[in-house]
Amino acid sequence: MSKKPVTQPALHKVIMVGSGGVGKSALTLQFMYDEFVEDYEPTKADSYRKKILLDGEEVQIDILDTAGQEDYAAIRDNYFRSGEGFLCIFSITEDESFQATQDFREQILRVKNDENIPFLLVGNKCDLEERRKVSYQEASDRAKQWGVTYVETSAKTREHVDKVFFDLMREIRARKMEENKTNNGRGKDKNKRKKLKCVIL
Amino acid sequence: MDPTLKLFVSTDFNPDKYVRELSQNCIGGPELVRLRNKVQSLSEETSGKLKRNVYQNYIQFIETAKEISHLESEMYQLSHLLSEQRSLLNSLSNTSVLGDDKPVAVEVVVNSEDNKKQEEEARQNKLTTILEAVEGCSNLLEVSTRSLMHEGDLLELDPMENTPLKRIHGYLFNDGVMLAAWNSNRRGPIRYKFEAFYELGSLAVVNVRDLGNIKYAFKLLAFPDTRLFQSTSNSTKKEWLEKFDQAKKARLTQDQIKRESFAEKSPSRSVSIESPSLNPFEEAEEEVASHPEWLMETPEELDVYVAQRHFEDALTLLHKAQEYFKNYLPHHHQPDHTVLDLKRKVEQRHLAVTEVLMKELEVSPDKSLQGGLRAARRPVGLLNQLGRSTQSCKLFLKLCSSIMRTHCKRVKREGSVIVYIQHLSSAVFTNMCHMTEEFLRAFPNSPSCSSAFIVWASTELSIFTTHFIKQVFITQTTLSTLTECVVLARSQCERLCAYGIDFCYQLDGAFRTPLTRAIRDARDKVTDAIKLRSLEDTWIPTNLKSKSGLARCLQEHAKMDLLLDNYVTGDCWLQLTNNTLSFTKLFLNLLEDCLKLQTSELLYTIDEVLFDILDAQVKYIGQSLRSEKQVEQRQFITKNVDFVLITLISLAQKKYSTVVGFESFGLKRLVKENTALLHGVTPTSRQITKYSSNEYL
Repeated sequence: MSKKPVTQPALHKVIMVGSGGVGKSALTLQFMYDEFVEDYEPTKADSYRKKILLDGEEVQIDILDTAGQEDYAAIRDNYFRSGEGFLCIFSITEDESFQATQDFREQILRVKNDENIPFLLVGNKCDLEERRKVSYQEASDRAKQWGVTYVETSAKTREHVDKVFFDLMREIRARKMEENKTNNGRGKDKNKRKKLKCVIL
Repeated sequence: MDPTLKLFVSTDFNPDKYVRELSQNCIGGPELVRLRNKVQSLSEETSGKLKRNVYQNYIQFIETAKEISHLESEMYQLSHLLSEQRSLLNSLSNTSVLGDDKPVAVEVVVNSEDNKKQEEEARQNKLTTILEAVEGCSNLLEVSTRSLMHEGDLLELDPMENTPLKRIHGYLFNDGVMLAAWNSNRRGPIRYKFEAFYELGSLAVVNVRDLGNIKYAFKLLAFPDTRLFQSTSNSTKKEWLEKFDQAKKARLTQDQIKRESFAEKSPSRSVSIESPSLNPFEEAEEEVASHPEWLMETPEELDVYVAQRHFEDALTLLHKAQEYFKNYLPHHHQPDHTVLDLKRKVEQRHLAVTEVLMKELEVSPDKSLQGGLRAARRPVGLLNQLGRSTQSCKLFLKLCSSIMRTHCKRVKREGSVIVYIQHLSSAVFTNMCHMTEEFLRAFPNSPSCSSAFIVWASTELSIFTTHFIKQVFITQTTLSTLTECVVLARSQCERLCAYGIDFCYQLDGAFRTPLTRAIRDARDKVTDAIKLRSLEDTWIPTNLKSKSGLARCLQEHAKMDLLLDNYVTGDCWLQLTNNTLSFTKLFLNLLEDCLKLQTSELLYTIDEVLFDILDAQVKYIGQSLRSEKQVEQRQFITKNVDFVLITLISLAQKKYSTVVGFESFGLKRLVKENTALLHGVTPTSRQITKYSSNEYL
């Protein structure tokens, strides 16, 4: 999109993934509206869009808040396909959710077919330090192994909430710029994401 | 006797009146005493009869209980067989050539057949109208199960710029969504142009919560397309999203049903596809949506729970589902196919859970009993919740038996019999207590199980007593060892009384015959000893050689509550023969054992034995007295007689009555019969008569 001169600012598509109840929606709502929603209601699939200033440049962020569980793998793949960057959330108070990030990572890599897809591993609920089940070391080790950044957030206290979204968008932006270069340079074979864009245009 | 009895038995018997009449008719005390004795003997006889009757009733009760539990288990086997047959019939009807689950539904839903046909017609009409309205969707009717769930006008927006693109008419079917664009140059009925059809299975629906100023929007992600739509109001958007959700869920459950039925009866599938009206799924779809999601997933969830051994969760779910069916069926007179199908499946799972739990409880040689009864708690409790308490009780008791066997086997036969019996009875009764506790915890309010338990415990006890008798009642065992063993077993058995289970009677009953024999054997041994010693008796006072020896002897006897100071002469002489002293010891030991063993049933034997032994000794002394001519020697013998008949017997009577509650008849008779022995030779100041009166009567 960025290569096309458009009236709208650049759009970065972020997907929230992770097990049910880890706080994907809470993070999204905190980022979008600066509010913390305490009561839990499982999400089906919600999308949000917001104009923000990213390093002085006006951009749009499109957040797809996905369901923790999706019965059809094909549908889940469709979510992933539509994303340019991923926030993979788990709850530091729940080891199972941390283990699940492995699956999400694999699915995303399989769908996007791209080892370097913008991706952040996010340990949410870091305000609940006393109930911590996943150590910082353990999580950052996994992030290192994947070659991604690990950030701990709290949707409740807003700690690092903006950071994860902004960091991811920077990655997406950098990635797009790099891609443009290669594309302009030597008309590289179109990957799946490219195809998607073509259709939109 | 007879008329008196009849009088007592008659309904209008008045004791006061009877006594008054008696006292009027009788003249003098002796007459009254005679009558009193008569009444007394009558009462004794009746109480004896009563006892016997109670015992007989008790045995009858046990036998009846056994019979009942036997019958019960047979009934269970029958019901199990029946349910097996039923599931077999069900599966048979499912695999019949007509295909699908139709035959099951046929009987129940005959009346709704017309409805279904109408619905089917309506469905086809609907699709035909769509077919007419939309250009280029001729393959719409190809899928026989397809039906319309929702339709409506939408505005498609550019997913990037959010600018309106075109007007779209959306059709949501149960298997996918069709988008048709408005046809600008309308000709006839064709209003729309077919644009795309997305399968539900791969279509991601996204609720657009916030898109700047764009309201009521949602997105469809169907790779490679991303399409953004705007509906006219919040409620229409909600409706769309809800319908999408419903369709998806219905499809999911349907997929599962298909998968299952495919696995069960794949050959018959093709038939139903050729005749769309016979397919039960079409009608089910509308209703599928009306059932909660959890219900649709119940059979699978149950499988998962059982596989993961989360029986509690399985049970909760099972109950929830059954509750649902119970509430659902009365409200809907013609239960739809889905419910019947689900119900059948849930019932199958119910049986499966029961079976798995029963397996869990079953005793098999390769299964370790390490967990013991504690491990059985969970399956037993769950089976009880499933309403299979009798089966679980049976299995539980079987498990108890096998635990008991292993524990008993572990008790090694080493060292003395007493130690062995101590360990064995402790093992048996500790286990029994433990099992009773567990039983009461597992089956708190179940009379039928309780009777089964009593029968079980009784059987276990007889196994124990049989083993006990084999081990203990052998000729080598002395009476005192035997006594100790029996007392041990009895005291252990009394532990069960704390739980309201009194088996002492059974225990005593089992030991009665061998004990009687053993006591008689002991008597024979003692009388043999008496005969043997009488041949060697020289009738001289005992010389204890020294003062200290005498003191020791006196002390020894004092311990047995015998004061021999009157018999001391000189420094070290005792005016009793060695024979008398050793007999005394022997007799008192025997008495001690007998009193420990005593039960009201054994009392007769004990009495008889005590009498026989003393009689033998006294007869021997009497013989010696008769053949003795010297006065001095006669006096000496009389002293011995006196010791045995007065001192020893009164001591014995004292001991006897403290244990039994009254004095021994046998000993009393002996004293009475032999008073001549004392009188004839020594008309001393001693008052023998005192013992001959029937004081206690």
